[in-house]
Amino acid sequence: MNILTVSWGWSEILWVALIGLCLVFILLVALIFIMKLFGACFQLRVKRSPQPVKTQPIISQEEIAAIATALKIYRSVLHDRESEVVTILSIKRAYSPWNSKIHGLTQLPLRK
Amino acid sequence: MWSVLSSGPDFVLDSLKTFAESTGVAGLLAHMGWGTLAMICVAFVLLYLAIKHKFEPLLLLTIAFGMLLTNLPGANMYHTELFAGGHVHWDIFVAKAGLLDYLYLGVKLGIYPCLIFLGVGAMTDFGPLIANPKSFLLGAAAQLGIFMTFIGAYALGFSPAESASIGIIGGADGPTSIYLTAILAPDLLGPIAVAAYSYMALVPVIQPPIMRLLTTEKERKIKMRQLRPVSKTEKILFPLIITVIIALLLPSAAPLVGCLMLGNLMKECGVVDRLSKTVQNELMNIVVIFLGITVGATATAEAFINARTLFILLLGVIAFSFGTAGGVLLAKLMNLFAKDGNKINPLIGSAGVSAVPMAARVSQTEGQKADPSNFLLMHAMGPNVAGVVGSAVAAGILLSFLG
Repeated sequence: MNILTVSWGWSEILWVALIGLCLVFILLVALIFIMKLFGACFQLRVKRSPQPVKTQPIISQEEIAAIATALKIYRSVLHDRESEVVTILSIKRAYSPWNSKIHGLTQLPLRK
Repeated sequence: MWSVLSSGPDFVLDSLKTFAESTGVAGLLAHMGWGTLAMICVAFVLLYLAIKHKFEPLLLLTIAFGMLLTNLPGANMYHTELFAGGHVHWDIFVAKAGLLDYLYLGVKLGIYPCLIFLGVGAMTDFGPLIANPKSFLLGAAAQLGIFMTFIGAYALGFSPAESASIGIIGGADGPTSIYLTAILAPDLLGPIAVAAYSYMALVPVIQPPIMRLLTTEKERKIKMRQLRPVSKTEKILFPLIITVIIALLLPSAAPLVGCLMLGNLMKECGVVDRLSKTVQNELMNIVVIFLGITVGATATAEAFINARTLFILLLGVIAFSFGTAGGVLLAKLMNLFAKDGNKINPLIGSAGVSAVPMAARVSQTEGQKADPSNFLLMHAMGPNVAGVVGSAVAAGILLSFLG
């Protein structure tokens, strides 16, 4: 690293402070320009990006209706095959706030 | 059988005496001056502030505990002589070093501040800065405090290198302060770190009076235009561009800025989520513990209790005040040249001192006091993160002049 080898006095201190502050500004101003340029490029790209084109459906409305009807008929004749094994699970904790009757009813205020 | 124990009472007494002399209590009675006692009190005060008032607790708690450990005699956890003269005495290091000496190497070699910056980068959203690059100007103006304090410290009799280390407190950036001080003025590390973190915690107290003093009611009510949306690609390219530019123009700031930007790239690229989370949480927390406890350990009575520490504390407030004023005044100056729709609320200028995100929150709070429907937080985040880059750049410049 290059180090300033000078005998430090007031003049050098003031110059270092002034040059230091100016350098901070110069560097950050340089970054502003770069970021502005960078931002401008991106915004330009966003503007230039092609708009989505509305495409006409390849098939007609009647054909779509026919396909939909065919699909509905096909699905209506299908049945889910369910397991024929019936298992009764024993519930260890029968009570829960979710099945509690007292919690499911509106509490009427008691008059004393 | 009893003849085996014939060495007798003298030996037993000697053993007990040796043991008693090795305890901390004996050390406390033999070596304790008012300085050590005062330092232990300072440690307890800092612990109180951290725990009760939550003043930067993550750091103040560990710093205070390190301070307590180093000032209690006998533990031999930290030895100032191993780092005397600003460099590590490797020849006697292994023979003498205690736990904190080993941990302190991370500070001395500039590892911890860079790792902290890695985590800070991963936690920071540079979107507001990318959307409004003019924020860099406010971040630069807020570094005024650093250079004014540099002059002030020299006037009070500090050497140029020490003055630069004290001045960097004005950057309101703990890791940068520690990084620069560990290189330029390691003897002042304890007081400078304590001053930097204490004042960062006091940002909501120090800044508002200055902000109100320098702005009019009308200026505080200025509503800023909404920021443009920033694309993911821009967010990914930003850290790369900044790293390349800073490393090319100011290599001495490259370790800090490079780590900051690497952390940010990890967050923004979205493909290394695990790494991003690690640097934000686990790594950051581990380093905070090591950094805090070792920085606290440098605050020995000899290093801390003197007029220079008082000057450092005084200069720290001045540095923060000048930094705040610099940002606010530049925002006002920018308004003179801005069109009506593009005016800047000068309150966001104060966020140019780093202290992320507290300084931005102060801008938001002050803005809402003037107009509850005004939301300045995102606008203030721009100068706030610009301040982090600005203070790292200022540190790099001072390092290249005085390092």
